[in-house]
Order: sequence, then structure tokens, then C-alpha cells
Amino acid sequence: MASITTDVLVIGGGATGAGVAWDAALRGLDVVLSDRLDLSEGTSGRFHGLLHSGGRYAVKDPDAAVECIGENVILRRVASDNIEDTGGFFVTTPFDDPEYAGRFMQGCRDTGVPCEEIDVSVALAEEPRLNPKISRAFRVPDGSLDIWKTVWSMARGARDRGARILPYHETVAIHRSGDEVTGARLRNQRTGEEIDVEAGVTVSATGSWAGKIAEMAGIEGVRVLPGKGIMIAMNHRLVNTVINRCQMPTDGDIIVPIRTVSVIGTTDVHVEDPDDRTIAQDQVDAMLEDGERLVPGFKRARALRVWSGVRPLFEDAKADNVATRDVTRAHALLDHSQRDGVGRFVTITGGKVTTFRLMAEDTVDAVVRLLGRGGPCRTRTQAMPGSESGRYYHVGERLERKEEHLLDDQLVCECELIPRKRLEHGFKQRDTRNLDDIRRYLRLGMGPCQGGFCIYRATGILHQLDGMTAEDADNTLREFLEERWQGVWPVLYGDQLRQMRLHEWIFQGVLDVERAGR
Amino acid sequence: MRYDVVVIGAGVAGLAAGARLAEKGARVCVVAKGVGSTHLAPGTIDVLGYDGDGRVESPSSALPAFVSRHPQHPYALVGADSVGPALEWFAGCVESGPKAGYRYVGSLERNTLLPTAVGAARPSALVPTTMAGGDLTDAAPICVAGFRVLRDFHPALCAANLARAGHEARSLELEIDTGRVEENALGMARHFDDSGFRGRFAALVSSQLKAGERLGLPAVLGVRDPQGVLTDLEQRLGRPVFEIPTLPPSAPGLRVYDVLKAALRAAGGRLVIGAEVAGSTRDGARVTSVSARASGRDHVYEARWVVLATGGVASGAIELDSDWLARENALGLPLSGAPTEGSARFDPDYFAEQPLNRMGVTVDSSLIAEGTENVLVAGASLPGAISWREGSGEGISLSTGYAAAKTVLEREGATAAA
Amino acid sequence: MNPHTPHPTPDTPLHELLRDSLDHCVKCTICETACPVSNVTPLFPGPKYAGPQAERYRDPAAPSVDSSVDYCSGCGICTMVCPQGVKIAELNAHARERLKNEKGVPLRDKVIARPTVLGRIGTPVAPLANLSLRLRPFRILAEKVIGVHRDAALPKFAGRSFRAWAKKHKSPPAQRRVVYFHNCGTQYYEPDVGEKVVAVLEHNGFQVDIPLKQNCCGLPLQSNGLFDDARKYVLRQARLFAPYVRDGAVVVGNATSCTLMLKREAREILELEDDPDLKLVSENTYDICELLLDLHDRGEFKTDFKPLEESVAYHAPCQQQGHWMGKPALDLLALVPGLRVHEMDAYCCGIAGTYGLKVEKYDIGMRAGEDLFRQVADSGAASVACDSETCRWQIEHATHRPSVHPIEILHRAYGL
Repeated sequence: MASITTDVLVIGGGATGAGVAWDAALRGLDVVLSDRLDLSEGTSGRFHGLLHSGGRYAVKDPDAAVECIGENVILRRVASDNIEDTGGFFVTTPFDDPEYAGRFMQGCRDTGVPCEEIDVSVALAEEPRLNPKISRAFRVPDGSLDIWKTVWSMARGARDRGARILPYHETVAIHRSGDEVTGARLRNQRTGEEIDVEAGVTVSATGSWAGKIAEMAGIEGVRVLPGKGIMIAMNHRLVNTVINRCQMPTDGDIIVPIRTVSVIGTTDVHVEDPDDRTIAQDQVDAMLEDGERLVPGFKRARALRVWSGVRPLFEDAKADNVATRDVTRAHALLDHSQRDGVGRFVTITGGKVTTFRLMAEDTVDAVVRLLGRGGPCRTRTQAMPGSESGRYYHVGERLERKEEHLLDDQLVCECELIPRKRLEHGFKQRDTRNLDDIRRYLRLGMGPCQGGFCIYRATGILHQLDGMTAEDADNTLREFLEERWQGVWPVLYGDQLRQMRLHEWIFQGVLDVERAGR
Repeated sequence: MRYDVVVIGAGVAGLAAGARLAEKGARVCVVAKGVGSTHLAPGTIDVLGYDGDGRVESPSSALPAFVSRHPQHPYALVGADSVGPALEWFAGCVESGPKAGYRYVGSLERNTLLPTAVGAARPSALVPTTMAGGDLTDAAPICVAGFRVLRDFHPALCAANLARAGHEARSLELEIDTGRVEENALGMARHFDDSGFRGRFAALVSSQLKAGERLGLPAVLGVRDPQGVLTDLEQRLGRPVFEIPTLPPSAPGLRVYDVLKAALRAAGGRLVIGAEVAGSTRDGARVTSVSARASGRDHVYEARWVVLATGGVASGAIELDSDWLARENALGLPLSGAPTEGSARFDPDYFAEQPLNRMGVTVDSSLIAEGTENVLVAGASLPGAISWREGSGEGISLSTGYAAAKTVLEREGATAAA
Repeated sequence: MNPHTPHPTPDTPLHELLRDSLDHCVKCTICETACPVSNVTPLFPGPKYAGPQAERYRDPAAPSVDSSVDYCSGCGICTMVCPQGVKIAELNAHARERLKNEKGVPLRDKVIARPTVLGRIGTPVAPLANLSLRLRPFRILAEKVIGVHRDAALPKFAGRSFRAWAKKHKSPPAQRRVVYFHNCGTQYYEPDVGEKVVAVLEHNGFQVDIPLKQNCCGLPLQSNGLFDDARKYVLRQARLFAPYVRDGAVVVGNATSCTLMLKREAREILELEDDPDLKLVSENTYDICELLLDLHDRGEFKTDFKPLEESVAYHAPCQQQGHWMGKPALDLLALVPGLRVHEMDAYCCGIAGTYGLKVEKYDIGMRAGEDLFRQVADSGAASVACDSETCRWQIEHATHRPSVHPIEILHRAYGL
């Protein structure tokens, strides 16, 4: 059994966990970051893509709003390459209470969220797809945030400073020695090998799964309510500005333009199991109607796929029948030595993606206290790898890069403009033989054709890497197709149905990938 | 514009119906909103490859039982013995068509087993001469060669999977200068149409081939003169050469389009591409004209008969909207197999049979659409088949296109005689 | 239903509908198989790339990043063959306009986009102008100074204008009326074609009105990204012709690119959907062969042709195919006894209006047309019939065979 020692073991590789690893590494600590799946496969990777201005919470949850705008400013500075400066509108549609707008403006003033009322005609000129019947419009500094890019950027930054990043390592046991947590045993899902990690402090950054991890440490009563929400990605940017309905937060009231798609969300349904990824048809139907309210013609536009994420809603008071949306979205840092008498173990949960950096800062502050070592936080000013120039990402970037190399390289994924060299480099950088990992890393197969053309190409290229058998290649290809289907079928109509028919023709007809190797 | 028959759709079914009708003297116009699926399809004529999960060795033997088990299937509607004549007719079109010497070989008696681009084995009834050398029941070892410049074909994966399935196969990846860093299969096929390029290719590859090996290439053996390309290569390399269908665009598919289009035009039929049928006029159950979008205004095509060969779901001919309502877009015809309230629309398993797979226009045993007297349906817009899983696409298109033509001719003849 | 030809709704402006059509793209590659340009040069990555794919990356508030779209020739074949209804060529046209306006439209493009200006300058000095255009040193100088390729297929000035003839011509009054849109090519380079068109129409019992104030349809301006100017020109034509249409005439033209501009391109690409005059004109514009074939289908077309024992190749220009009505010229030519017509199976001759004239695009144009030129040679035909004048000039240049408008053959067969 392999065994490693570190200062901080961070269990959970979402935005918060990666943020903790990055923060801790910057403070000179040795870090191991683990996740039972790929990094940000949990809630982070399934979020809306919104870099909040805080406007959404200005009335309902002012503390959350203050946090959001604070972090919004910081992230724009240190994570600029992962952010699109789309700006945001709050608009009063015919379906919204016109009174809310006044409270919204007041709430923004009170919480420091910059908010400027603009003429409806200005909003419609900038966003011609918006419902022409809107009566008021406000401009706020929303943006869109590419969380995979962010998480991997922080992981890389941590790794560059000596951290060990272990995706696909499930926690099978938390080690206790008396009233202290000493580390954990992790199992490599891919090889079956187990590894013991001895850590000065163990951090559970497991979001919706925090209760389960705490139980492994023998701690009861860490109650996280998974609040499941669905999001639908539409095939192209129907809008280029984040659009919010100016009303109390409700379902389907935000459309976020992120990379080449626009994402509408979300819903909020309490579920028992944080791994529950089922999609309810009536929620899909309702979401499409919500889209139609903001963008007439939405229901005729092409939906690419739907997915769900579970928000970790930490509830310390044990109230019954609480709608999960009403529980605070503020985060919860639990120092278990104080709370439960179990030392060297900290849980960070709750919160929202926009505030991950602050959550990580609070967490590492606690870690430093417990370790008695480590300097002050530097993540407010230290740019993440890739964001050193301070330039925002813009949607045309991949096209621009392809144009600069028009005659130099082949395109493997045409929808997402991924050149061959980039893909080959990606396999090496991620050290993976799994197409789905590459998908999260490079957006392979995430465009309109959902892998229809690129996946065979990528499989062929992957197959030529060392140690790859045809059987492995076939398996990862089939798994990729099955995974893509999961998000497609619940919202499959119109253009996307045509696409999937072509997809079936190619993979089941022309290639017959099911029978490859038989 | 007045015609005897208007055919809607320029895929295999539409062009076959149109050409056959025109051959027999009907005044035909084929209108289509775009080019059909020929350009995407492998170019083989698949009649019946799989019955459930069992591979079919002999379509002629298997069809009768298949048809009785699937009474709603297009083969059941036209009758198992309609397939043969349709295939024969097609083979005749190829032989007398614009690609000198190019032929389809094989028969309904025995499926030819050809490799796919991932090295699976695919059963087809008729295959072009350019693919016949890849018959997997032949034990000769295979060298699968690909081109670095052609990212749509990966010889190593193909060969490795063939080997796993028990065939003797190895692969080569060739670096050949085409003037570009990236080609698709059609671009490569155009290069292969040039004898200078073929010379360079042969010089590059021949020393790398072993005795007794046959050479498998991606589907790039020319568009203009595939037989010439094949013969030349086999001569230069002294061994059988064959092509393997891969990602679109499909050069063999384009050849099928060229052949059928030529057959239609030679017989005096008209072809209008870019014209989407968006309306029709009726007299009771008779459709008297269809109107198609053209530039400026719609054009009206009057006809005594209409053949709807619009390609089903893949082309958007049959559409499911976001309210989960299905419709047939050209003429608003009734559908079978459409989703109903509360029924499952899709299965979460990608490789499972999907509930909507068999959706199509409701027809009677003469292929006449329900509610009409003179509209026949052919090809993928028919219900009851999952062509890409059965390996039956072209067989259905040809046999139903041919049968539709036959029905129209018979009834026209009866009318004329009466 | 997703219409092939979008019509704006009160909720969705036309530009957004064109952009919306990118949703129909299933990446099938059919457009790529047909693109005359991407098939011969990697400088244009293809219609799928430039249209629906790149459009997802375009932000209206950010500068254009894909200059490769400048290599799209605007032939429109991609939109025609697309089985899913993506408005590929139209998306490209918009992207190209943005690109050109950001980077500046070169003087050359501004000049060649105004055939009436060139025409008016060259006509009075036609012999000198024609001579200069054939002098190699002059052409080399022109190439260096203005960017028109030294070998590009330029026409000869006729030295007289069609309208000068039209002014003196009195069309016999008749019930059936057409208003003739003669286009710039006829006006300055081929007035005889115009005379033949009028003669054929009158032979078939039409009264032909020829408004003398007519001008360029604006298509070359549109193709070169000068949308505002193009709008001015096309709307002027719409205002001119609309009263005739309201009075019961239809507009007929012999230049298939220009009639396509009126029928569709001005409305879709220049986003002039709302103009009532243009809408009226576009719905009542006919290509001359289209009009005559309609007449024939009604049994009213005169077929008193004398036999012509000749063999002619027919090429339908890309923008004739863009009418989406088939090839009426073929059916008309089939009515001439003895005439053997070889249908060319090509999408584009490579000139694409002004595209193939440009120094950086001439070779691409010639390669794009190679397949057609070879078919012409293989056919053994002595001449080539083709509905568009710029194509005729390109075909003559490349095949060294005369090229005529189909109407000229009918005119000769009538013995007029």
C-alpha cells in the first residue's frame, strides 16, 4: 500500500477544493487534492456559468449579494482568462411584478452592486432577441465564468508549486486517531490501487456530499440539503449579455451566454441523494416556457442538452419543510474541533460558485490556524495561471486562434474548433486515456454535433498513444457516446433530433461501433 | 408547371422513383430542398444486415420470415420479392451510367461482409467493385492504409479491431503531400482521380506492402472514374485494393447520386434543388399541386401523382417540436409511431431501440399515404424500420421508390386504358 | 416548421432569423462537397466553417476575427444544397460585410462594384478603352495599381448604350405587358442581347416597357460588402419598377444574378424585408427563360423555330441555380429542332460576379471553374449557352469558345 504525507489533504476537487489547494500552495503548504471522479465533476462542473454581480440576491439575501460583488471584482482581476465580460441585464418582463424593480435598485445600492437603469430601447438594441415587451432594464456587472478552465488553472498552479492532484481517487476511509483526523485512504478508481494519505489537516470540500464524508470521520449532524437544479444549453448565443428577470429569484429566470452556447436555468428541488442526476420532463418543459418569456422564439431554437447539479445547502438549524431555495446561500465553514471535538478536520460547504475563492480563503485561514504554519492569503491578488495578462476571455478566441493557424493544423472537433495538436497535447497534460476527461478539459464533443464527427477522430488519435489498446479505445468511444446521450435525450426535439439521427446513422450504421472488435 | 408526377426528395428513394417513372415515359419533376443523404451514406446497397441482433447471411432467405414478423415494415408493404427487381434496376443504372466500368456486385442470396472504419463487419447485399475486395469471408491478410492528412479515417484502430475479430490485419499511416494539411474523404477521392497522384501514391506504398496482402484504403477511390482508379491501382500494386466507408462526405455516396441523377436526366426528368415544398392544394383526397419555395415567390408544381421521399427525421421532413408534437412538414400527412401523451419518447440507453425510431407517414400496402388518393411515400419517411440498425436503408429506399413508381405506372395505365 | 426562406416576425428581426438558421446545421458536410472555392483552395475553410460554425463564435460587439470569410465567393450553392435549410451564403455575406467594413473596403472593390460608373466612363471612348484593356502593359499596371488580375476576363465596351436604342424603340402595344430590367451588362457591353430579348418578347406578344431611368441592382456593391450603397441602388430600382407591377406588368430580366438580387438577395442579405415596393417587385420578377417556359406550359409560347443543326453546351450560373426553379433554359432550348444541348454539370464557373477579377482570387476562380471548362471541352460543343454575362466572359476566356445567352439562340432560331 502506497502512502504519502502532506500538510493538507483536500477531499473534493470542485471549485472550492481546487481553490483551497491553490490558496494553500500559494501559502507554501504541501497539498494533496483528491476527487472521486474528475475534477469539478460534481456541482461546480454543472453550474450555470454565471459570474454573479450579486443583483440576484440584492433583495432576498443581502449578505450573499455583498459577498458576490466582492468576489466578482476579485475574480475579474485574478481569473480574467476564465471570464467573459458579458455584462448583465435585469429586465422587468410582463410576467414580473413591476414593483420589484424599485426594491431591486435599492437593494443594489445597499449592497454595493453597481446597477444602472438603461432605456428599454438601449437594451433591445444591444439584445435584439429579448422580449420586446420589457418595461424596464438595468445594467449590472454579471459575467460568465468557465469553471472547468478555472478549476484546472488552479490545479495546475497548485501542481506547479508541488501539490499532488489526484482525480479518480475515491475516499474509502477517513483515518482517526483518538479525537483527531489524521488523513484518509483513497482508492484509485482506474487501477484499484489504494493509497494512504497522512495529512496535517484534512479538508472536506465535498459540497453536497459533505455529510457523507463527515460520517466517515465519525461526525454526525452535518446536514446538507441537496437542492437539484436543471440547466439547458441552447445551441448558440441567443443573447450576448446575461439576462435576469427582475423579480424574486425563481425558476428559469436567467440566461447566461457562455462560450458558444446560452444556458438557461435553473430549478430547485430538494432531493435525498446528491448523486441523483435524473431529469424530470415537466421541469424541462417548464424551463423551455421560461425561456420563451425572456426570448420569444426560444422554443423554436435548438436545445443542445440538459443537465442537473445539486446545490449544497447547509442547514444548521433542523427546520422541516423548508424550501431549499429559501435556505441561505452563504457558505458554512465547520471547524470540527470546535463543533464536534474532532481535531484536524474541517468541512467547507454551502455557498455558490461565484464565492469559491472566499470560501477557500476562509478554509485555508482555518487550516493555517490548525497547522500553526503558513502565510497570509494571496489569492486576492495572485493571478491564476493563464490570467496573468488580465485580459478577459472573448467568445471569438478559438476562432481567432484557428484563423492564425488556418493552414497549419487539422481541426479534430470542428464545432469547438479544437486543433489536432491541442488535442494531442491535452491527452498528455491531463495524463488520461479517457475521452470524457478531455471533453471537460477542451470541450471536445460539446458542440452541436455532440461528438458526431470529432469522437471517431479523437478515438483514432487516442488509440495511437502509448499503452492504448483497441479495446480501450472502443470502450472509451462507446462510453462517451452513452454519456453524451444522457444529457441529450430529455430535451431532444427539432434540430437536435435530426442531429442525433445522423449521429445514430454514423455510429451505429456506417461505423457500427457496438460490434467493433467482435 | 404541369407534370404527371412530382417527386419530393432527391435521395436514393426519390431519385429512384423519379428516374424509373421518367424511363417509362412519365413527365416527372423531382423537387428537393437540398441534396439527399447519398452524400453521407457508405454507398453500399444494404437490404437486410441484422434481424434483431442476429446477423443475416442471406437476405433472400431471411426476408420472408422477417417480413412476416414485422408486418408494418416497408418490406412487408411492398413484399419481399419487390426487392430483387429494384436492386437489378439500380445495378443497371450504374452499369449504363456516367462512371465507365463501375458496377455493383453481390446478390440478395448472400450478404458481403465488409469492414467499417472501426473494423467492425458490415453486411451489404450489393457493393461497388471498389469495395468488393474487402470481403471479410476471404482469408487474405489485409493491410489497412490511411493518410495522416485525412483525419476522418484511422487505419490503426480499424486494423486492430479487425485483428481482434480474428482477421489477419495490420495498418500503415502514410504521409503524402496533397498541398493541404487537412483533407476530407471527398478531397482525397478527387486527388485519386488524378493519375499523377496515383503514381505518387503507388510509389509510396508498394514497397511497404507484403506479399499476399490486399490493401484497404478509406473510401477515396475517385468520384469521376472510380473503376479507372481501382483498375489502375490494382495494376500498379499487383494486388486487390478496396475502399472502406468512413465519416462523410462519402465519395461512393456521391457516385450513387451522380448515377441516379444521370438516370433521371437521361430519361427526361427534371430536378430542382433548393426548392422546399411548403404547401399543397387538394381536391378532396387528391393532392392536385405542391408549392415549393423558390426565390421571390413559391413555384407551383401541378401533378397527378406525388411521391414523398423526403428522408424522415434526419432531414427534418418529419419533425418533433418542443411541445413534443410530431408533424410531416411537406404535406401535413398523418404519422404512425409518433409520441403520445405520457409515453416514453426515448430510452436512456444510447444503443437501445428508441421509441421514435420507427416513426413515419402512415401508408397502406400500396404505399399510399392515409387520407390521400395519390400521394405515395418512399424511403426513410416510411414507418416501421430502423434502417441503420437493421442494415436496410438503401434496400428500403430502392424497393419502395421502385414500387411507388410501379404503382403509379399501373394506375396511370389503368386510367389511360379506361 | 423551419422555412427555407425566413420571414421576419414582429418578435424576431430578419438578421436574427438568418443567424437562427445556423441551428439547423447538423455538420453533415454536404455544403463542403459542393463549394466551388473550398474544393480548390484551403484559404477558404469551407461553407460549414465560415457560416453556421463560425457564427457561433461571432459577437456583434467585438471585432471580426475570421478574415478567411473574404474568400467566400457568394455563389450561394451551399444554401441551395443544404438539406437542412441553413442560410449559409447569407450568413457568410453578413460576416464578410462586417469584416470589410472593419478593415476597410479597398478602392478596387469600390470601383468594380460600380459597373455603371465604369460603363459611363468607358462607353464614349470604347475603342480606346477596349484597346487598353487588351494591352498587356496596361493590364499589368492595372493589376498593380488597382488589383484587377492582368488575365481576368473583362468584357469589351460596346461603344453604344442599350438605353440609347431603347429610347428610340417603340414596343407594339399589347395586353400582356412586361417591364424589362436590362442590367448593366446589357447596357454597356451587350446591348445586342437586350435587343434580342425585346424582340423575342414582342414575337410572343408582349408589350415591353423599358424605363430609361433604371440603373444597377446593387449586387456588386453587396458582394463587396458595401451594404448601405447597395441598399440605395436596389431600392431605387424597386421604386422604379413597382408602379409597373401595380399596373399589371411583371418585371423580366436576362441577367440571372440581377434578377436574383431583386427576387431574394436584397431582401435577405440587405435585410430589406419590410420595404413594400421591393417585396412587390421581388414577387413579380422573372428571369426571361422562366417567363417563356411558363408561357410554354400554358401553351402560349411560339415555337416557330427553324432547325439549328448545332451542338451547344449549357451552363446554369450559380446564381441562376440560386433561383431554386430548375433550369428553364434547358427546356426552352429543347424546343429548337436539331439543336443538341449538353447540360453541364457544374456549380460555378469561378467568376462569381467580381470575385474572379481580383488579383488574389483570379487563380482560385479559374481552378473553381476547371471542372466546367473540362466538361465543355469534352462535350465537343461549339459554343456555350449561359444566362449570366460575367459567366459568359469567364467561359469564353477559359474555353476559347463563344458564349451566348440562351435567348440569342432562340432569337436566331425564330429568324428574327
